[in-house]
Amino acid sequence: MSESAHAEALVPEPVEVNDLCRLFLNSLPVSGASVAVMTASGARMTLCSSGILAARIDELQFELGEGPQSAVARSGQIVMVPDVALGGHDDWPVLGAALGELAVGAIFCIPIQMGAVTVGVATLYSDSPSTLDYDQQATALMIASAIAGGVVQQAMVAALDEGAEESAAAPALRREVHQATGIVLVQLNTTATIAYARMQAYAFANGIPVHTVARDVVAGSLTFEDTLS
Amino acid sequence: MMTTGTRESRLSAAFIKLADTLVTEFDVVDLLHWLVEQCTDILDTQAGGLLLADLTGQLQLVASTSEEAELVEIFQLAAGEGPCLDCFRTGTPVTVGNIEADGGSWPTFSAEALKFGFRSIHATPLRLRGQIIGTMNLFSDHIGALVPEDIAVAQALADVSTIGILQERHIRSANVAGEQLQRALDSRILIEQAKGVLAATMKTTMNDAFAIMRTHARDRNLPLRQVADDVIARRISF
Repeated sequence: MSESAHAEALVPEPVEVNDLCRLFLNSLPVSGASVAVMTASGARMTLCSSGILAARIDELQFELGEGPQSAVARSGQIVMVPDVALGGHDDWPVLGAALGELAVGAIFCIPIQMGAVTVGVATLYSDSPSTLDYDQQATALMIASAIAGGVVQQAMVAALDEGAEESAAAPALRREVHQATGIVLVQLNTTATIAYARMQAYAFANGIPVHTVARDVVAGSLTFEDTLS
Repeated sequence: MMTTGTRESRLSAAFIKLADTLVTEFDVVDLLHWLVEQCTDILDTQAGGLLLADLTGQLQLVASTSEEAELVEIFQLAAGEGPCLDCFRTGTPVTVGNIEADGGSWPTFSAEALKFGFRSIHATPLRLRGQIIGTMNLFSDHIGALVPEDIAVAQALADVSTIGILQERHIRSANVAGEQLQRALDSRILIEQAKGVLAATMKTTMNDAFAIMRTHARDRNLPLRQVADDVIARRISF
């Protein structure tokens, strides 16, 4: 099959949001996938995830602000972690520790590019340690390129939609976390950056996800106080 | 806001400026913004958008004069239907003088356009030597198609601009789509943070907080993103 016909066979039209993940699962020996757009400014939006574990791997990187996704967004190169349990994650030590507690063997992050610009990352994982060979990496890149335009468009529509619904299963832009940041910056009379850092610290200290902290802040059941004033 | 003078003098000024851009350095996105604004002023339409095809042939929104126009164009692209897309595909102008009555071919587009108060639209193809590179779309809040004279003006301005667009390599990369995406995501994050700030300071719901910001933005003709920025920086309160 010619390369373009091969690509078309992998990407039927039209493409629904959840199908973005399924495209990778159908063509590669991986157990789960998530797709997110990421911008140079650090803004990100998750478009889909194939299951709870895929969503958690994605969520951890959002919460911690570190991980292979960020590396791929910056470099535009595939990043493979063939055996998460082996450690040596100098660039993302906290994430490495957190991943060690999940039933994840290997993680592969694939750049989603339009021309020379990396607009997002597809994060794939396997239950057991493994790698992607040269052909599989090429397949992954081909799928990523094919979906790039649609991914950007869907992300823009969602970002511009004031009334978009989000949930733990479909967190998208994590609006509740940003709303909570606004509330906390008022409570602490500080900046958005510091307010978010305080929410992160509280989440770690109590062993709960940041999105849970955000939910409680928005609901009014958790308040941050300016104890230093 | 608009310069004085007869329509003819405004047209002349527009063409002179366009001619300048062909021989001097210019920022193509600025040019496109200016083009759409000129058309909305000279032709008495209320808003406009400009779609350009990227290297893969996919249409991207490159310029718009208002957030409403931006949303209608984005939704049109996402839905894959609309007069602007028909214009691009056929390479001929598309006029819908009454979207409510005659927009049946594009139900999603028509619903969105009417929601934002647009009741008629004219789409002009951007063409050069047989190649269609995009469309310039003019929205009106009143019913009525552009008269042939106005359609010709729109096409003439678009044709001269197209030369400048094709000469500018910057536009022919994915940078534009990437920048648009970044702007949209950054704006959304700022808006959500600002909603939180207002919810906390005014003890309102998130929806009410948004309504307050939107009303303020419209009353003062400010971009919503700027209002959000000011709210977060505590430069304004309500």
